[in-house]
Parts: sequence; structure tokens; C-alpha cells
Amino acid sequence: MKQFLLILSFCMLSLSASVQASGGYGITLEPAQNNLRDQDSLKRGAILFSNYCMACHSLKYMRYNRIARNLGWDEDAIVAEMAYGQSTVYEDVTTRILPGVAMDVFGTEPPDLSLMSRLKGTDYIYSFLRGYEQNEKGEWENHVLKGTAMPNVLEGIQRHSSEEEYAEAARDITNFLDYVGEPSKIDRLDLGWKVVAFLLVLLLLAYLLKREYWKDIEH
Amino acid sequence: MSEQNKQQSTLLAWFDKRYPLISTWNKHVGEYYAPKNFNFWYFFGALALLVFVNQIVSGIWLTMSYKPSAAEAFNSIEYIMRDVQWGWLIRYMHSTGASAFFLVVYLHMMRGLLYGSYKEPRELVWLLGMMLFLVLMAEAFMGYLLPWGQMSYWGAQVIISLFGAIPVIGPDLALWVRGDFVISDVTLNRFFALHVIALPLVLVILIFMHIVALHQVGSNNPDGVEIKKYKNNKGLPIDGIAFHPYYSVKDTMGAVFFMTLFALVIFYAPEGGGYFIEAPNFEPANPLKTPDHIAPVWYFTPFYAILRAIPDKFLGVVAMGGAIAVLFAMPWLDRCKVKSIRYRGISFKILLTILVVSFVVLGWLGTQPATPELTKLAQIFTALYFMFFLVLPFTSKNEHTKPVPERVT
Repeated sequence: MKQFLLILSFCMLSLSASVQASGGYGITLEPAQNNLRDQDSLKRGAILFSNYCMACHSLKYMRYNRIARNLGWDEDAIVAEMAYGQSTVYEDVTTRILPGVAMDVFGTEPPDLSLMSRLKGTDYIYSFLRGYEQNEKGEWENHVLKGTAMPNVLEGIQRHSSEEEYAEAARDITNFLDYVGEPSKIDRLDLGWKVVAFLLVLLLLAYLLKREYWKDIEH
Repeated sequence: MSEQNKQQSTLLAWFDKRYPLISTWNKHVGEYYAPKNFNFWYFFGALALLVFVNQIVSGIWLTMSYKPSAAEAFNSIEYIMRDVQWGWLIRYMHSTGASAFFLVVYLHMMRGLLYGSYKEPRELVWLLGMMLFLVLMAEAFMGYLLPWGQMSYWGAQVIISLFGAIPVIGPDLALWVRGDFVISDVTLNRFFALHVIALPLVLVILIFMHIVALHQVGSNNPDGVEIKKYKNNKGLPIDGIAFHPYYSVKDTMGAVFFMTLFALVIFYAPEGGGYFIEAPNFEPANPLKTPDHIAPVWYFTPFYAILRAIPDKFLGVVAMGGAIAVLFAMPWLDRCKVKSIRYRGISFKILLTILVVSFVVLGWLGTQPATPELTKLAQIFTALYFMFFLVLPFTSKNEHTKPVPERVT
């Protein structure tokens, strides 16, 4: 039986190794290194999202008051700073573009970004935002998603700010989208260890109970 | 006797006169004698029951907020994840539970293979268990369509189209299963009905029969000897101990240990690295856009790899079905009288190793894109998988076994 366990664990190890190797998009992604607990970064990300993304993209599963509650943001302030007073705090984060306009201008419908971080991962978003380079003809190309219809929205920051500020802007937007992908993620992480700690204490008690009962059984 | 105790005992007597309360408890719990030498592998039956209860309870609560319609299903999942109090926890308990269910069931089946638990007199226990496995696969498959993500949709599309490969009746059969020409709202609704009512009901009945059948013949053990052979002057097996309290406390310990690992996944890796919840499922089903790479959830991948390994679609379906069907025949394919691997010959040990390795490798291959090299590899391991069942009847007949002890060690 021990051999079986050995073989099995070996197979599982090689399985997990191959999983890590095959997870890519055929390009190397920059690590986003965003921090969900950094509320300032999340707020900056929300405002950047409003200024640079919401012209086309929506977050249809995210309400303003939920963002306000999770990021410690005043309800009036978030409507003023993120929605420019154009939405109430009870509404979802909708896009500012009129229906059909994007299809005419870009030839595609910009996707809703509520779950983009879970669909593609944070590294992908970060690399994609920073993936724009100008070719000889002066056109912007994105090496992460070739032929994307999305313009280089961070061009202004990329041209006129420092490398650190450019990286920070992309990281803040990524951080915000990571939060939006799963708003209860922080709750989940904070609750988890308490549950596990409780179960470990219960495990000890269950073990002691088992040992007590099994004293009278000869092995 | 105090007044309260007297009251209680009269109430109990009242019930017992009208319902076999005490005798049922004694037969299945209080005086069910199980071998005292159960090891690690014997936790998984009780754990499967625990996960089943988890699925039922979390499933009931999910049903309260889920909407089985193509227009609303995906939105309602996000509603559960974001707006329902503790919805994210309930949903992760259910989605992680599905993977945990298969993990413990595969290990439970492995235990059966290791210690010959399928052999006389437990053939029916094994057959009922195999039926449970089959229904569980259907249950999981239908449940996976309900979130209405891209992988839900296309996974169902691929698997149901397999019915179309059956000669003559195939295309009509696939149409009948879907209820439409493509996977649609109609399919989603019927899968929902089957997932939350029909199949759980079948599972409950089969689990009940699986346990009743087991208690009729008694549990096997790692030595594969019958404890009923040696009884004390009260007529109880010498090497048996009452299920309650001995195994109830031991299984409680196992259950808490399992729950600890389960909680770690729920709270720290609910997507299971993309194996429990696949990333493309965070995009709503789109009938016009096929995902780059369609892979079933990990617990189906060994059989999916077998399906893809065979170049002919119909024969692939036959092989995939055969890979499961052949397990039903284990009690008759294995002709060795010795049950436990501890006392069996080297031929069985080698064969079983090949089976397990093939299963795991096929499981990995099923997650990968089918390149020519990997398909070749899948063909080799499919052949090895079936070789186990082909060779076993011959090697097991005259196996060079070790002497089996009279009593448990």
C-alpha cells in the first residue's frame, strides 16, 4: 500500500507541475503584484477606472454602495468622484457610452469587466494595460492581445508620467478589478483561518475522544 | 428512576411499539459489529456520506436564489456570490463539494480494489456502489451546466453530442436529451429538474441500499478475513467492535480532519487552480463562440481521455462507457480466492499499479489539448487500463498467494 501512495503522490506532483507550465497564454505576463488590502490603491483604481475605462466598459454586477461599503468610502463621495453625480449609489456601475456606438466606432462590443480578473487573471490585466507599443507607422499595438480594438487608454500616463507612476496606475486599476471580480474575497481570506483554527481544536478533541474510547480495544 | 427518565422511556416505548426504532438502531449502529482493524482507507465511505449531506444542504440553499433560465442563470450565480448573505460560502461549499465527492469516492473505490471488498459475499455491495458512481457522474455533469458559463455550455454540448454517434438512433436520441437542436433554455431547465430532484432521490435510495446490503454481509477489512468465523460465547465476532461508539468516534475524527482540508480549499483555493471552477466559466455561455480549449472538470478527465484516444467517435463512446462498465464486472473478473492485497501475489500488485497509474495519467491527459503526441500517449494508457481487466481473469485464477491469517492482525 505504501508503494501505491508513493506512486500516487509522484503522479500528483508531476500533474501539478504540468498545470503550472500550461497555464499561460503563450506570452510572458508581468506579475501584477497588486494588494487587495491596500484601500488607497483600490480607491485610486476606482477613480482611474472611472476616468479611463468607463467610457466604454461597465461593471454590471457591482453597485456603487457596495464599493463604498467595502472601500470605506462615503456614499456621496463615491457618486461624485466615480459617477460624476450621474448615477445614484444604488445603481450598478454602468458605462457612459450609448448602446451601439462602440460597435460603430470599434467594430466590437466592449465586454463587461465585472469578472475579467477571474476570467483572465490579474497578471493578464496588468500586462494587457501595459502591453501597448507604437509600431513604425505610429499605430499602437498590444503584444498581449494582438489586434485588440481597444485604444491605448493609458497613453497620457505612459508618455508624460514616470515609469513608476505608469506602473502604479496599471496596478491600481488591476487591483480594483481584482476586488470587483470577487468583492467578498477579503472576507473569505479573513474568515478562513478562524474556521481552520476552530476545526483544529475540534480535531484535537475528537482525537482525544477517540483515544479514550479505543483504550479498551486490543490491537 | 427519576420522573423524567420514566417519561422518556415511556415515550420511547410508545414509539418502539409502533416503529422498529431500537432494533433498527441496534442492527445498523449500536450492535453492528465491524472489524477492529480498519485503517486509513476505511474513512472514505463515511466521508462520502458527509459530502453528500453537504451537497444536499448547500444545494437547497443555492436553489433558493438560483434561477434556472438561460437568460438569468449566470446573473443569479453572481447574485449569490455578491448579494446573498453568505452566498459565496454556500456556493463554494457546493462547488468544492463536487470535487471532494469524487475524490473520496475514488479513494473509496480504491479501498475496495486493494482489499477485495467486491468479492463474495459483497458482490451486491460493489454493484450498488458502482451504480452510485454512475448516478453521481450524471448528477455532477448536469449540475455543471447550471452556472451557464462558457465551459458549462460547451462541455454539455460536447458530451451530449456523443449520443449522436450511436448508429441509427443517435441523432434523434441527442435531440431528445437536449430537447432542442442546441443546448438551450430547455436543456437547462430539464437538467435543473434532474439535478435537484430526480438524481438526488435516486442517490438517496441507492445509498440506503448500499448500506443495508453492507450490513447484511458485514464489512470487509484490510486483512480480507471474515470476522464472523470466530465468535465468543455471546455469539459476537471476537474481532468485531460495535460501530457505535467505536467507529462513530473514529469517523468523527476523520470527518473533522477532512473538514479542515475542505475549509482550506473553500477559503484559500475555491477555484482549485482552475480545476474545481474553470476560468472560462466566468464568462456567460455564448452559443456562437467556442472556447479555445474545452476540458471537463478533473473528475471526468480519465474517461474523456479514453474517449479522445479512439479515432472513431462511436468506438470512442463505446470505450468510454466500457471503461466504467468493466468495473461492474470486477467481482467476476477477479477469480483469486484471497481478498486482501496484503496476501495476494505479485501479478495482482503489478496489475493494480498499472491500473492506478493509467487512470492518473489519463486524468492528466484529459485536461490537455489533444496534440498527436499526447493522443498517442492516451492510446497507450487506454490500452493499459483495459489490459488490467483483460489479464486479471487469467492471472488471478492460479495466483501465487501468501498464506492468509485465520483472524485479523
